[in-house]
Amino acid sequence: MRWLPVLLLTAACPVIAQETARQWLGDMSSAVQGLDYDGTFVYLHDDKLETMRIIHQLGDAGERERLVSLTGSAREVLRNNESVTCIMPDSKTVMVGQSRPRKPFPMVPRDLDSLEKYYRIETAGDDRIAGYLTRVIAIIPKDAYRYGYRFWIDKDSKMILRSDLTGNDNRPIEQVMFTSLGIGGPIPDSELQPSLTGDGYTWYHQDDGKATPEHAGASPRWIVRRLPAGFGLTNYQLKRMRPDSDATEHMVYSDGLATVSVYVETGAAGADPFTGLSGMGAMNAWGTVVDGRQVTVVGEVPAITVEMMAESVTARAGALDD
Amino acid sequence: MKDKLHEQLSALVDDELTGPEQALLTKRIGSDADLHQRLSRYQLISDTLRNQLPERIDPAFSARVQAAVMDESAQTTAIPASHRLAALLKPVAGLAVAASVAVVAVLSLQAVREDAVPLPAVASAPSSSDYIRAATTLEPIIRPRTDKNLDIYLVNHNEYAINRGMQGMLPYVRIVSHEMNRDSKE
Repeated sequence: MRWLPVLLLTAACPVIAQETARQWLGDMSSAVQGLDYDGTFVYLHDDKLETMRIIHQLGDAGERERLVSLTGSAREVLRNNESVTCIMPDSKTVMVGQSRPRKPFPMVPRDLDSLEKYYRIETAGDDRIAGYLTRVIAIIPKDAYRYGYRFWIDKDSKMILRSDLTGNDNRPIEQVMFTSLGIGGPIPDSELQPSLTGDGYTWYHQDDGKATPEHAGASPRWIVRRLPAGFGLTNYQLKRMRPDSDATEHMVYSDGLATVSVYVETGAAGADPFTGLSGMGAMNAWGTVVDGRQVTVVGEVPAITVEMMAESVTARAGALDD
Repeated sequence: MKDKLHEQLSALVDDELTGPEQALLTKRIGSDADLHQRLSRYQLISDTLRNQLPERIDPAFSARVQAAVMDESAQTTAIPASHRLAALLKPVAGLAVAASVAVVAVLSLQAVREDAVPLPAVASAPSSSDYIRAATTLEPIIRPRTDKNLDIYLVNHNEYAINRGMQGMLPYVRIVSHEMNRDSKE
């Protein structure tokens, strides 16, 4: 019976490999959120190359992050547990939105079990990035409705050092790669402060009201009839996107990895509604008008997915009679 | 049966429901108006507990609501205060009722405040022309001259996208990216 242990070991190997890939992803997610770091990376998309710097700190007050463009206009995004602030010096504008708490990935193993119905998760060898030795983990979609991912993860710190988002032909649509990175503190507080004060800028606060009195507790008014397999509703809210606008219904769908937002404005669509496809890198948006309402679907998914979802939005029977 | 359903609903709000359970419940919410109403209420309760109510609601009031709910929790059970909705809804049925009352109070207040104060919850309310300027700056991120809400949707969506996964910094990289801006001017 000497062959039996060998046979068992062989049979178990794919499972072990899979578990390892999962472990790498979990560790990476923890590192991105839990480590202090200051690094410079390049962002390649649509045949364009840009350089940015990211400073990240996890302190008593939670995560703080500052992202600055080093090429062209010095745009900045500052994020903490309460808000996201986008500073746009080219147009002298500051936009403030509400942040939501980040969750680690994978949240629980059963998430990954369901994820693996729609993606293959596997290790794809080793590589060297910014002087660090990395393990490459690939997430490959099983259909054409979602993108694939490749992550280069530092073997020591588990920090993500390069990430590719790939299309259906397996070619990268977006790439982010660190060219230099310092891991570990202390991060001086000054590094997390904006370099611009925003004085003389136009400040614009996104009104992230969760529910408006007239609609709170209202019945669902819209249905997305065609969803890719595995996508489910993860969040539903009625909110006012701008202080001067009507409420918008916001439905969030996810397969556990890709996320798609469906926005349906409650007011009548304007004379010049947004229709058709709009995209940048991996982000696609599809606009259409349904029953006189502007419907906009936004997500890091292929164009066919946002189109399919947007064009299948229908009002529930009797929902618009009020 | 109903209790089990409500438990699942609170798990959904806490982002703790996944896989077939989630799919099944989502389907059911789509066809059950009562359940959907309950989801909206739970969402609001959850936001209250997490201090994520919109700025238009007096933050002190939100804190008082939270304190009141916590007090009730302390009186009725020994379970420590938690920001998880499920933890709050599970201990006793009466608590859910208390939370519902709190939500009604919040909504009433919001209705009053909407009438009483100018809508924008900002330090200096942008005029309509300011708004157009603000929107225009972000429009090139996706496509200019189509819909001024698209930029807002993009930023809003980012917060949900990074929640879900490990794209990490990517969503905001897109916002900082300005090459598209140049394109739009060409």
